[in-house]
Amino acid sequence: MTPLTAPGLPEDAVRARAREGAAAVFPPLDSYGTAVFGASPAPDGDEIDALRLVPPVFMPGRLARLIDLGREPLYSDVLLDTDLGGFTVPLPVYLSALGSTRVAGTSLALSRQAGRLGIPMVIGENVAPMNGFRAGGDDHRKGLLERIQAYCEELPDGVGGVCVQQSTEDADSEVWNHVYSDPAVTGLLTSGRLGFELKVGQGAKPGLGGLTMISEAVASDLAGQYAVERLGPGSSSILRCASPGTFTDEIFRRQIQLMRNNYPRARCWVKLFPGRDVGHAAAVAWDAGAHAVAVDGAEGGTGWAPTGFLGHVGLPLAEALRRVDPAGRTLLASGRVWDGMRAVKLLALGARAVGLGRAALIAADEDPEHGLERLLDAMALELRMAISALGRYTARETGPEDLWEPRS
Amino acid sequence: MTLQMDLPPAPEAPVLPSPLEHLRDPRTRAALRVQQALVSGARAFLRSDGAVEMAHPVIGPVTDPGSRGAKQVDVDYYGHRYKLMTSAILYKQASLLAFDRIFLIAPNVRLEPVETSSTQRHLAEFRQIDVEYAGVTRDVAMDVAEELVRRAVTTAVEECGADLAVLGRDPDTLRRHVARPFARVPHGEVVDGLRRDGYPQAAGTEIEWEAEERISRQADAPFFIVGYPKGSRGFYDKESPATPGTLLNFDLIAPEGCGELCSGSEREYDYAALVTRMRETGENPSKYAWYLDVARHGIPSSAGFGIGLERLTRWVTGLDSAWRTTAFPKIAGVVSP
Repeated sequence: MTPLTAPGLPEDAVRARAREGAAAVFPPLDSYGTAVFGASPAPDGDEIDALRLVPPVFMPGRLARLIDLGREPLYSDVLLDTDLGGFTVPLPVYLSALGSTRVAGTSLALSRQAGRLGIPMVIGENVAPMNGFRAGGDDHRKGLLERIQAYCEELPDGVGGVCVQQSTEDADSEVWNHVYSDPAVTGLLTSGRLGFELKVGQGAKPGLGGLTMISEAVASDLAGQYAVERLGPGSSSILRCASPGTFTDEIFRRQIQLMRNNYPRARCWVKLFPGRDVGHAAAVAWDAGAHAVAVDGAEGGTGWAPTGFLGHVGLPLAEALRRVDPAGRTLLASGRVWDGMRAVKLLALGARAVGLGRAALIAADEDPEHGLERLLDAMALELRMAISALGRYTARETGPEDLWEPRS
Repeated sequence: MTLQMDLPPAPEAPVLPSPLEHLRDPRTRAALRVQQALVSGARAFLRSDGAVEMAHPVIGPVTDPGSRGAKQVDVDYYGHRYKLMTSAILYKQASLLAFDRIFLIAPNVRLEPVETSSTQRHLAEFRQIDVEYAGVTRDVAMDVAEELVRRAVTTAVEECGADLAVLGRDPDTLRRHVARPFARVPHGEVVDGLRRDGYPQAAGTEIEWEAEERISRQADAPFFIVGYPKGSRGFYDKESPATPGTLLNFDLIAPEGCGELCSGSEREYDYAALVTRMRETGENPSKYAWYLDVARHGIPSSAGFGIGLERLTRWVTGLDSAWRTTAFPKIAGVVSP
C-alpha cells in the first residue's frame, strides 16, 4: 500500500508503465484480437492534450533518411540523443527539481535510476536547507550530496549531469559555493556535468516562493531564515514560506552574469514560472549567458501549494511556450509530462527537452528499482514512433507545423 | 578578486613543508622581515596621511560576499550563525561614521576552490592592508594605493638589504618598478589586448587568472586595470553613472607574473541602490540587516581598497608563491597547521 498520489496526472497509466515498460504503450495485450480501437471523441485535459500531431503525406525528411540508410527507415532509426543546457543526453528528458518533502523520499532510488539512464537531474532549492547538505536526517529526507553521489555511482561516461537549484533565501546558506568546491562533485565538474539552476519560480505557484509544511521543532530551527505561519491549531499545520525573490530585467541579467563569472565551470540554468512576460525573461536569460531556460507551465506539479493557485494562476504551458522564441537556444519545458506524446508536442512547441516531476515520483513509488527506467522505455518508444510518423528522425526536427489545434 | 578559470582536472597542490623546516628556512625569515618593513612603510604613510588604524571584527552575522566560489566559514555564535570575515568591506564603510580616513591590517579567511591551490597566489587565510577614505573618488583611492605601495617598497628596500640579498632580489629592480607613476588601463583595453595576443578572454567578466599572469609578465611596472564590468564584483562597488554597466573600481597588477595585488573601488552608499545591487548579485538583503540599517541612516560616500599583504610580499621578495611569505600557510584543500 503506498500513500503517494498525484492528482491531475493519469496516475494509473504512469504506474502501469513503471511496472510494464514499453508494453504499456499499447492497449492491454489480452484485448488483442478481441477488440478494435479508435480515438476518444474529445480528450479531457489541457490545451496540450487537445493538440494533435499531424504527419504530412509527403516526407522529404524520410527520403533523406532513406538515402542515408540505403533502406526504408523505421521508427527505431529515430535518434533521440541531444545536447541540452551544456549536457549530452540519450533522451530529450531531464528530471525536474524534486524538493525536500516526504513524497520525495524515493529520491535516492530516483537519483540512481536517472544516473543509470544518463538523463540530467535537478536538485530542488530546499533540499540543502531542509534536509542537509551532506547527509539527510532520516530515510525519507536525503541530503543534497547523497543524491548527487547516488546519481554519480550509476552514471555512464559522457552523458547526463546534475543541476543544483538555489533561490533567494538559500543564498544565505550558499548552496552553490558549497557544492562548487566540494570534492564530491569534482568528477562532474571536470567533465562539464555540473550545473546550477537559478529558480525564479515554478508553474504550480507563480509569484510565490517555496512552501513546505513543517513541525514545531523544525519551525523553531528555521525561524531566523524563513517566514513561518501557523495555519491552524496543532503542530502539523506550520507553513514555511520562502520569499520568491525580487527580479527586474537588470537584476535577473546580473545574477546570471554573476553565476557565469563565479562558477565558470558549471552550466547555468534558470527556471521560470509561466508569467505573462515569460518570453522577455527567457530572452534576457539567454542573452546574459544562461545555457538553458526551463519553463514550468501552470500544469506543473509541486509538493505543496494553495489549491487556488493550482486552478487560477499562471499561463498554461502551451501558451507559455508560444511566448518564448528559443532561436536555437535550449528551452526546457515541464508540466504534467508523463508520456512520449506530450513530450513530442512540447518539442514541436520549441522545447529541446522535457522535465519529468510527478510522473517520476509515481514511477519510483511503484517500483523504486526500475520504475523510472520502465516509464522512460515507454516514453522513448512513443517518442520514436511519433517523431518518425512525422517524417523526422531526430528529436530536434519537430516544429509547430507538426501540430494541429482544434478550432475553439 | 579575479576569476577562477577552467583549470585542468586535479591540479597539483604544493606540498607544504613542516613548520620545523619552513620557519628555520633563511628565506622564510628574510621574507617575514621584508613583510614587516612593508607593513611599517604602509602604516607610516597612512598615518602621515591622516588615517586612523582600526581593528575590525573577526566574526560577524555577515561578511563580504564578493568572493563567490569560495566558501565562507560559519561560526556558531550562541545559536546564531556567524561568519569569519572574508574581507572587512562592510565594517570599513561603517567605520567612516567615526573617522574620515581609516585603515586596518586585517586577517581574512576564504575557503577558496581547491583549484586555487596551484595558482601560487591564493591563500585560504591571508592578510590585507585595508584602506577606506570618505568623500573621495576612485582616482584618489588609486593615488593613495600607488603611494602606499611606493612607500612600502621603498621602506623594505632601505631597511632589508641583507634580507633581499638572501632572497636574491635586486633592490634596484624594485626601485625602478616604483619610480614612475603607475599606468591606468581600462578593462576593455586589457581585454582587447589579450584578444589581439591570441588569448580568448571574455569581455563581460573578470580577467582570467592565466590572462592576468600573462599581462603581469609583460608589464614593466605595476599598473591599474580600471572599470570592471558589472556582474563581476560585489554589490558595494559603485556603478559608473556616466557608463552604466561599468563599475568605478580597479585592480592593481604587479609586474613579473605576480598578478593582482589589490582590488578597490568607489563605493555604493545609497540605501536603495545597495538593496538593488544586492539582488543583482544574488544576495538576500535580509542577511545584511545591520549594514543596511546603517546605510539607510546614511554612510558617507567613500573609496578604498585592500592590498593582499602576502601577495605584495611575494612580489617584493621575488618568491615563487604567496604561501612562502607566511609563517603558517593555509592553501585550499591542503591540511596544514
